[in-house]
Amino acid sequence: MEPFRFSYVNIGNTMLQQLTNLSDKDLISRARKLKDQEAEGVLLERYSHLMVAVCLPYLNTAPGTAADDVFPALLQRLSNSLKTQTIHKVNEWIHYNVKAIQDKSDRNLPFFSSTESREIQQVENRIEQAAMNQKEQQQLIAQMNVVISQLPAEEKYFLTKFYLEQQPLAQLAGAKKYSIDKTRQILKNAKQHMASILMKQSYEQ
Amino acid sequence: MSSNLENNDKILKIFSTVRCMNRDQLPRYLDGRLTDLEKHLLEQHLVDCDLCFDALQTLSQARYREQYQPLSVSISQYIRNSIRKVSTTQKVERYQRLEQKKESFLIYFWVVAAVAMGAGGVYLIQQQNKLKALNPPQPIAAVEKGIEPIPASHSQPVATPPAETAASPVAATVAPATAAAPVPDSLRRRPPAAEVKVIPAVKKDTIKAAPATPKPAPAKDSAKKAPPAEQKEEKSTLQPAKETPAPAAEKVEKKETPPPPKKEKEKEKDDDDNKKTADAQPSGTDEFLYKAAMVYHQQGDLNEAISRYKHLADSKSKYGELSRYQLAVCYRSKGQTGKARRMFKEVVRMNGPMKEKAQSALDSL
Repeated sequence: MEPFRFSYVNIGNTMLQQLTNLSDKDLISRARKLKDQEAEGVLLERYSHLMVAVCLPYLNTAPGTAADDVFPALLQRLSNSLKTQTIHKVNEWIHYNVKAIQDKSDRNLPFFSSTESREIQQVENRIEQAAMNQKEQQQLIAQMNVVISQLPAEEKYFLTKFYLEQQPLAQLAGAKKYSIDKTRQILKNAKQHMASILMKQSYEQ
Repeated sequence: MSSNLENNDKILKIFSTVRCMNRDQLPRYLDGRLTDLEKHLLEQHLVDCDLCFDALQTLSQARYREQYQPLSVSISQYIRNSIRKVSTTQKVERYQRLEQKKESFLIYFWVVAAVAMGAGGVYLIQQQNKLKALNPPQPIAAVEKGIEPIPASHSQPVATPPAETAASPVAATVAPATAAAPVPDSLRRRPPAAEVKVIPAVKKDTIKAAPATPKPAPAKDSAKKAPPAEQKEEKSTLQPAKETPAPAAEKVEKKETPPPPKKEKEKEKDDDDNKKTADAQPSGTDEFLYKAAMVYHQQGDLNEAISRYKHLADSKSKYGELSRYQLAVCYRSKGQTGKARRMFKEVVRMNGPMKEKAQSALDSL
């Protein structure tokens, strides 16, 4: 593997430890505003094991898809993309770029987070903000209870079982005789459905 | 009730944010070596995160699991190694770049400072030259040089006073005595109303002219000689050839004043004085206004000159005709031939001393 260009100047252990404690958002901010390439490196290293795992089926499937070629290209692509694109969720951004590297036809399209993802993120932010405000939290809980009751029965069932009764995914899938992937997909859709209703309600207010 | 509240709190977990699986959690989840709580948290995250779910799906296959561990370690090591390699060279490069930047910045600064100082110096010199050009030591000198038609036009009216004095010695003897005193006063008082620039020029003129004239009889003729001095100056500026008649006229005056029999009664004298002062005042102001306009004309400020000539154009004195003529000249030099022609025609119609000049100018237009 040839070294890809990261210029970390003060990569002492102390500095590295300090950076590893920072959140993704802070690291992105540092990498962009302060042009801190150390932060950029720490961020990419944080997700490197997931990149490897996701890329494993793609490696050695065709010429030029060896680990020595794929990972430097992927890391370089992510490094360039970090400076120019708006990143709300790092996992989505990395997943998009990994898929783009694997599917070469889409490689020049920039990353944009989907509307669904943004809606979920907005609801997540609302809940985070309401954590310190009891009254607002109660209002949100009441609103969410109403929204859950409006959902289709299957979605309502899975949400209740998974989030409220804390049943594991495998158990839920076994009970309904679904695959884990399908169970996850139902939960994901239910969550998305709920987020869109909540956001619609907040816009109407 | 308490379970209800708990459920209420748990509903918020649907949208709680959980980080991606770290390097340690991923194999532990696959091996089932997690606590229930930790497992549930990760599963909550797995619902949203395609990256983690895909990673888990891949690693659940044994053949990829074998490849994963060494590759994961090597990519991490690879990043760190490449960082170290780059960092040492980068350090030196950065230091060198910084030093170069500092040096180049200093050079640029001094170059820019030198250029700015040079430009400032040139600008100052230019400004000084401009000021010198705008404020000549004797502004009246500009008037003295005169433009082409001025000498003839100006000399004629100026030449008349000596003639008049010669023709009517009685009046002449009285006139300077009476007219001389009010005229300078009025002239000194009037200019502020006209233009500030003109005042010093005129004052200087009078002040300079006064000592220049010979003073044979200082006590008696001091008052008499003030106006001739001015006239003299006008002549000297506009028509030096006709300078001689003035002293001649003075001589005539001097010669003619002594004989007392030619003088009439004192009452008549007073009447004449009054008339003369009344005539002299407006003509004196007109003269100065005309001079002021001439100054502007000389300086090339045609618009200001035209406005001043226009004020004078309605005057019934000789300066009315002169100013109309000058107005026409101004219009001609501005390229407004229609107006110039009209003015020249008016001058011709006035049938004054400028008629011939105006006629020739009209023909040439």
